[in-house]
Amino acid sequence: MTDPSERTTALRVAGADAAGLAASAERDGVPVVAVGSTGARALEPLVVATHEGTSAFVPNADADDVAAAVDALADGTLPDADARVDHDEVQASLPIPSIEGFAGERSVLARCGWTDPRDPDDYANAVGFSDADADAVLDAAEGLRGRGWGDWCADEPYADLWAGVRERDGPTSVVVNAHGNPGDALLLESDPFAVLDGASAAARAVDADYLYLYASEADEAALERARDAAAARDYGVPVEVVAGPDVYRAAEPTMAIEAIEGNHRLEARLRPPGPEVEGIYGNPTVVHTARTYAHLAGAIHGDAPETRVVSVTGDVADATTVELAESDTVASATAAAGVDDFTAACVGGKFGGITTDLDVGLAPEDLDEADLGTEGVVEVLGEDRCPVAFVGQRTNVASETNCGRCVPCREGTTQLTEKLRDVYDGTYDEGGMTELMGVMESTSICAFGRDVPRTVRTAMREFDDAFEAHADGDCPSGTCAVGGTQ
Amino acid sequence: MSSEHADRADAPPLTETIAPGTATDPDVKSAEEATVTVDGQDIVVPEGSTIIEAIEAAETAGEVPALCYYDRDSPEAEKIGPRSECRTCMVETDEHGMVPSCSFPAEDGLTISTDDEAATEARDVNLDLVLSDHNLRCTTCGKNGRCELQDAAIDNDVEEPRYGVFDDREAYEPLDDSSDFIQIDRNKCILCNRCVEACNDVQVEGVLRMEGHGADTRIGFQNGSETMEDSTCVSCGHCVTVCPTGSLVEQGITDAATIPLPGFSQKNSIGKSLESTGKEKKGPMTRMKRDEPKDLTSEARTDENPGDWL
Repeated sequence: MTDPSERTTALRVAGADAAGLAASAERDGVPVVAVGSTGARALEPLVVATHEGTSAFVPNADADDVAAAVDALADGTLPDADARVDHDEVQASLPIPSIEGFAGERSVLARCGWTDPRDPDDYANAVGFSDADADAVLDAAEGLRGRGWGDWCADEPYADLWAGVRERDGPTSVVVNAHGNPGDALLLESDPFAVLDGASAAARAVDADYLYLYASEADEAALERARDAAAARDYGVPVEVVAGPDVYRAAEPTMAIEAIEGNHRLEARLRPPGPEVEGIYGNPTVVHTARTYAHLAGAIHGDAPETRVVSVTGDVADATTVELAESDTVASATAAAGVDDFTAACVGGKFGGITTDLDVGLAPEDLDEADLGTEGVVEVLGEDRCPVAFVGQRTNVASETNCGRCVPCREGTTQLTEKLRDVYDGTYDEGGMTELMGVMESTSICAFGRDVPRTVRTAMREFDDAFEAHADGDCPSGTCAVGGTQ
Repeated sequence: MSSEHADRADAPPLTETIAPGTATDPDVKSAEEATVTVDGQDIVVPEGSTIIEAIEAAETAGEVPALCYYDRDSPEAEKIGPRSECRTCMVETDEHGMVPSCSFPAEDGLTISTDDEAATEARDVNLDLVLSDHNLRCTTCGKNGRCELQDAAIDNDVEEPRYGVFDDREAYEPLDDSSDFIQIDRNKCILCNRCVEACNDVQVEGVLRMEGHGADTRIGFQNGSETMEDSTCVSCGHCVTVCPTGSLVEQGITDAATIPLPGFSQKNSIGKSLESTGKEKKGPMTRMKRDEPKDLTSEARTDENPGDWL
């Protein structure tokens, strides 16, 4: 590998198919690097040609574009591009172009699409692997909170829990849960060494004996990069990569543990006590998302801005992941993804809250106050979507894909789906649905059953008229067959 | 020599593993003796207790069905549950809010209320949710009068369950009448998992398992067979003794408690049943569990393919 610090002229090809394109363009004198996704997947393969402190961006590149860009660099010039950004001669992070798909300054995503996710030296040069001892790690973790529903400490501080785990006997495990969330998968795919830097620091903090990287089998690039990165150097603790089934519930922390243990069927475990007492094989285990560890790595290196990794999915060309300040809004994320017209957004993951008002802050407190979720995923419902049909379908999916263990979730989602069907037959039982959802929230074993009601509740509030109209035999968006005509 | 072993091809290897399909729960019991307050009464419970032990020792203000909780005073019973699936044991605590009493450690100093309004509503709603998926044909059921769900519904004054009862003939699973010893009626199963634990954790037979997910969750067989006859069951009967409803009943008494109405019986209550093939005498005591674990990855419905709506 070329010494990255000497890479003042280089061609980077970002995206899932980057390796093939990059290989086709090998040429003497011009380093061509297949980097991971930048998060702006709609633009990929994205060619970034860098020469003497300027980078040129060519989105949706084919082999001809790559060849032209290499030719230009070989001639000491830059290719025709959609955007150019001036930056330092020796640049450690992706310069952010003014193209739809990008937004804001990056911290934890800084190296996604810039450094070589296969080369630990690239991370070592750009940031450096931390050797902070347990106390220093716990100090850096002070005040940081877990991110996402796959994190056992979602929106909660975790430093005290770690200090407790450190004191507990038994072989201890650290789990990186990168299952399901596009931001977590992006980090593993494009900057796995940052995740491992944070996770191995966590392993020192809790005196762990094992470190597991866990991701969905559907995120093949993330798994491949994770396996390579795990083998690339010594992290002071054995690192194992585990693929979980491609189902939403597999990200729930205790189901992640079940998957890592190799159970062929996943269901939630009772709690308390939680994994910090009895986790993998009954031993103390900390479970956090890749985002949580990447933010920790930043904090250890003295870079801890209050930012959130947000992915925009749904009715968009392709999922877009950006990093925004917590003081920024959901609207900034959708704008970066090029969303103009929409019916609503489901904010906070699969069972997030439905809203038409995207002018809501990204801090967990702001999202919570608006009854939206903090998973870091904004699902856009396009112009022609019917919100009543959306929540019906989403609840139906919940009834078919829950783990099947507890009654309020297993039977509750089924009955909630029935009640949403009844709306189409003229009965809108608002009181009955509210009662049922209250019990699902207060008595389900895990976050799956506790979160499902949020989607329905917020939609009922935001689109009360549409629910009433459906019960009266009319779909305002004109997309549903109602009134017994189906 | 080899011909002598041919008829034992189904004999299980010694390394056969048990795969009940359920999660490995943490130990939810208390670490030391504790004094808790239940509806104003001080109750002392020994080490190894959950809140429900205190509730059972008290005169409670509210009715706590705790339907799926298996409460027998024997070392074997200790190996069954708490599954905490039915959530009809929810109570309010000052310290932790609403908790499931069957599976929450009895910590010293807890203040517990059984008649809290939200907890009472939660128990009522969850009991009705159990009934919503239960074929309530008590009059043709062999467990009529000795059914824990029936008792809970009566004690809880259930008149008309909010969500009705499981009454969709199209959706009924056939009766499994293929075994000479045990009849299975999954339409009455509440998925309490007691039978799976009795089979795997007490008898260590490894026959029954929890399988599927969501609305398709069911009790099945670890060898993947469709019928009891083709399973590796040794007919020990422990599953029947722990079943709270009419899902597992000894053959011969499946109609013992039915009300004698001409033409109506447990056997024809569903209208379809799986029968014994009578094809062979039982082979080796336990057959090989030959199937692969179910594929977790193929779930028919996803967001991209939400399936039929309406």
